[in-house]
Amino acid sequence: MAAVARRAVFTGHGALTPVGLDSNTFFTALCERKSGIRRLTYADTSALHCQVGGELPEFKPNNFTTNKEHRKSFNKMARTVQMGFVVSHLAFNDAGLVVGKIDPDRAGVVFGSGMVASELDDLGRASRVSMIGEQGPVSQGIWGETGLEEIPPLWMLKYLPNMPACHASITLDLRGPSNTMTQSDAASIMALGEAYRILQRDVADVIVVGGTESKMNPLSMTRHNLFQSLSGRNDEPEKAHRPFDRDRDGSVLGEVAAAIILEDLEHAKRRGAKILAELASFACGFDRARDGVLMAKLMRTALQRAGANADEVDHVNAQGLATETADRWEAKAIHDVFGPKVPVWSMKANIGTSGAAAGAIEVLGSVMALSRGELPPTLNCDNIANDCPIHVHTDGVRLVTKPYVVKLNFTDRGQVGVAVLKRWEG
Amino acid sequence: MHSRRVVITGMGAITPLGHTVHELYHNQLEGKSGAGPIFRFDARTFPTKFGSQVKDFDLAKHVRDPQRYKEAGLNTKFALAAAKQALGDAGLLDNNKVDRTTMGVYLGSGEGSHDFPNLTLSIALACQADGYKVDPNGFFIHSQRTFGATHEYEMEMHTTSAHVANEYDMQGPNYTCQTACAASGQALGEAREFIRRGEAEIMLTGGSHSMLHPFGVSGFNLLTTLSTQNDAPEKASKPFDLNRAGFVLGEGAGMVVLEELEHAKRRGAHIHAELVGYGTTADAYRVTDSHPDGRGAIACMKGALNDAGLKPTDIDYVNAHGTSTQVNDRAETVACKNVFGEYAYKLPVSSSKSMLGHLICAAGVVEMITCVMTIHNGVMVPTINYETPDPDCDLDYVPNHAREKKVNRAQSNSFGFGGQNVSLIVSRYTG
Repeated sequence: MAAVARRAVFTGHGALTPVGLDSNTFFTALCERKSGIRRLTYADTSALHCQVGGELPEFKPNNFTTNKEHRKSFNKMARTVQMGFVVSHLAFNDAGLVVGKIDPDRAGVVFGSGMVASELDDLGRASRVSMIGEQGPVSQGIWGETGLEEIPPLWMLKYLPNMPACHASITLDLRGPSNTMTQSDAASIMALGEAYRILQRDVADVIVVGGTESKMNPLSMTRHNLFQSLSGRNDEPEKAHRPFDRDRDGSVLGEVAAAIILEDLEHAKRRGAKILAELASFACGFDRARDGVLMAKLMRTALQRAGANADEVDHVNAQGLATETADRWEAKAIHDVFGPKVPVWSMKANIGTSGAAAGAIEVLGSVMALSRGELPPTLNCDNIANDCPIHVHTDGVRLVTKPYVVKLNFTDRGQVGVAVLKRWEG
Repeated sequence: MHSRRVVITGMGAITPLGHTVHELYHNQLEGKSGAGPIFRFDARTFPTKFGSQVKDFDLAKHVRDPQRYKEAGLNTKFALAAAKQALGDAGLLDNNKVDRTTMGVYLGSGEGSHDFPNLTLSIALACQADGYKVDPNGFFIHSQRTFGATHEYEMEMHTTSAHVANEYDMQGPNYTCQTACAASGQALGEAREFIRRGEAEIMLTGGSHSMLHPFGVSGFNLLTTLSTQNDAPEKASKPFDLNRAGFVLGEGAGMVVLEELEHAKRRGAHIHAELVGYGTTADAYRVTDSHPDGRGAIACMKGALNDAGLKPTDIDYVNAHGTSTQVNDRAETVACKNVFGEYAYKLPVSSSKSMLGHLICAAGVVEMITCVMTIHNGVMVPTINYETPDPDCDLDYVPNHAREKKVNRAQSNSFGFGGQNVSLIVSRYTG
């Protein structure tokens, strides 16, 4: 290990969100209190409990590249994978990186990703020809004999969770470490943590850190409606996701992909990159009791590793799932560390909860807040809940006044990741 | 060099060749195959009708309250059992003397399996007889009625490492990665990093997977990566043999306890071996094929040597990825020759997959455990079913019979779809 710890900075970003298909549009929309939550249009969802969500407006991957090979490869990718591909390239370009101009062996990629659901049409004929009669059941025997042949040959590769990272590594020539974290709502904050460790152990200088997830397909949607706590506020889409609000009744799903370039400080300086913010520390653990005690301890650990005091924190970028249990749990931990005054921000009311992409887009949001000096408001926290004794920032755009941000993500089981970001002051 | 050294103080395995580390290793020494007709589901009409399965597994023999995991996937059940063995071996079960917040979990583990009958029926009922288009609304109506919420939830990939951490009270870092066939190797390497950095004293790490379900076999059959030698399953996995024609799909779990050396010594733990090297790279070539010149494989093997501060000739044995596909075994041979030079011809390289099949996410850790046992026992496991030499694969693959050799350092490779490469080096612990 180097005598002095290597420092990691953010030098570029790319985003696909329901409120904008690039990071600038996205951030401006947040500042303007825009919501991307609508009644869902990708399918008739009237049979589902939750019929609202955040869809990407008119996402067509071909609009993001003129490269013929890349365009051809999109038909071998599920939508989630296409989105991951696109944001990797957006971030890479935004950072001023050029394939061939950096050492590929010192460039890596770490993504957060989840279960990528099969498109139903890929399995349509196979299922139909294997069904006995008009009511079923589907015969596994017929499936093996003739159904199977009706499925596209590369079917499995369209949906493997590591494909976003792999397509990024292939098309951006990233030959260093490549990993894919799969911890649900914490996946991409964990990806950031891993990228940080990789940079610090000096096996890479540049890492594309991303997260991508679209649940805007019937299989994901039906599954998540069964096991996830989702809002039933179908007649008021823009009001549905209510972080820390007393009337919160669950999350809405949003499709999001985001990537940020994490880079060794000296490497960034040498190539004259614009530095947006610094990743000052990371801490993670398992809040087994799910009572916020360990979550609070992890935030303290992260602050300590960053050399920061709680009163130097500009805002806490919270998860804000808007479920009964998660918000109480999170608010308790934040209150434990910071008391009731630190501004707490969640962007989930604007764009929905995006699972494996959430950490990446939320880190990106705070990186932009630090670099622009402006913090967007939280929507829909109209009446702070009694069980959430924190200060949720809701009033317009607030100037960033302090150097640090604490970013928190966690899963419903208790896997917690905390990153501390620092304003770049040259 | 790092001042904090990382050693292995516990191991556990649930595999097609045994439910203990001892059985796993000794069955390999005897050249046994775990392959046989698929019993997890009726695969008699599938192109591949066999696999390498975990037999007679009963979670009740491993955890206090198996009912809690009734709806969990096989991957989670295997993981819980293997984790218990590894933690028990390390003396860490119910051990209040160890601060549980310094113990983490890092798994390379897969997803649970879809509810085949209800998923396909929900699709079929919503699909026109003469087309392939599925009506989402029809699908929603049927699937909402028939899918089990808990089953669907338990398929999610973060649940496995969470269940393990919860069952055995480990509150440190909790990670899950999914890099296909490289996942558990990568988990070991990255778990070690937490200990080196001082962010954990102990990491339970490894992997678990079962893709022996209709969609898993369908997916691999469509890619034509599985052997279809249905008349002789135990002969089907033949890494490095001229007539190799695909891998045998396996399942199982392996877990190791990694621990900071001084921590292990202070509590008087038995030290199995030291994890000294880790390299990981991407081919950055193609999603489907590994790089023909073994570019990423070479870089990760060299990376592991460099990380360990070792020369190629310090390695006594390589446990290959050795899947029994044409492309992998050729590229891995090319990579070994590049990394080891002339020494490659003197260096035994064998494939556990000839016997175990391919445990996908769990492959790397089970092969690492095999390496540790090799160091202890001084006998290398063979590559079975090696009959016809391939001129392109001309190394010493320890063909068909186990062989004695004093092994102080072993290197274990794992490569995954999408060009994911991992190489680990384990060393005899000599103080």
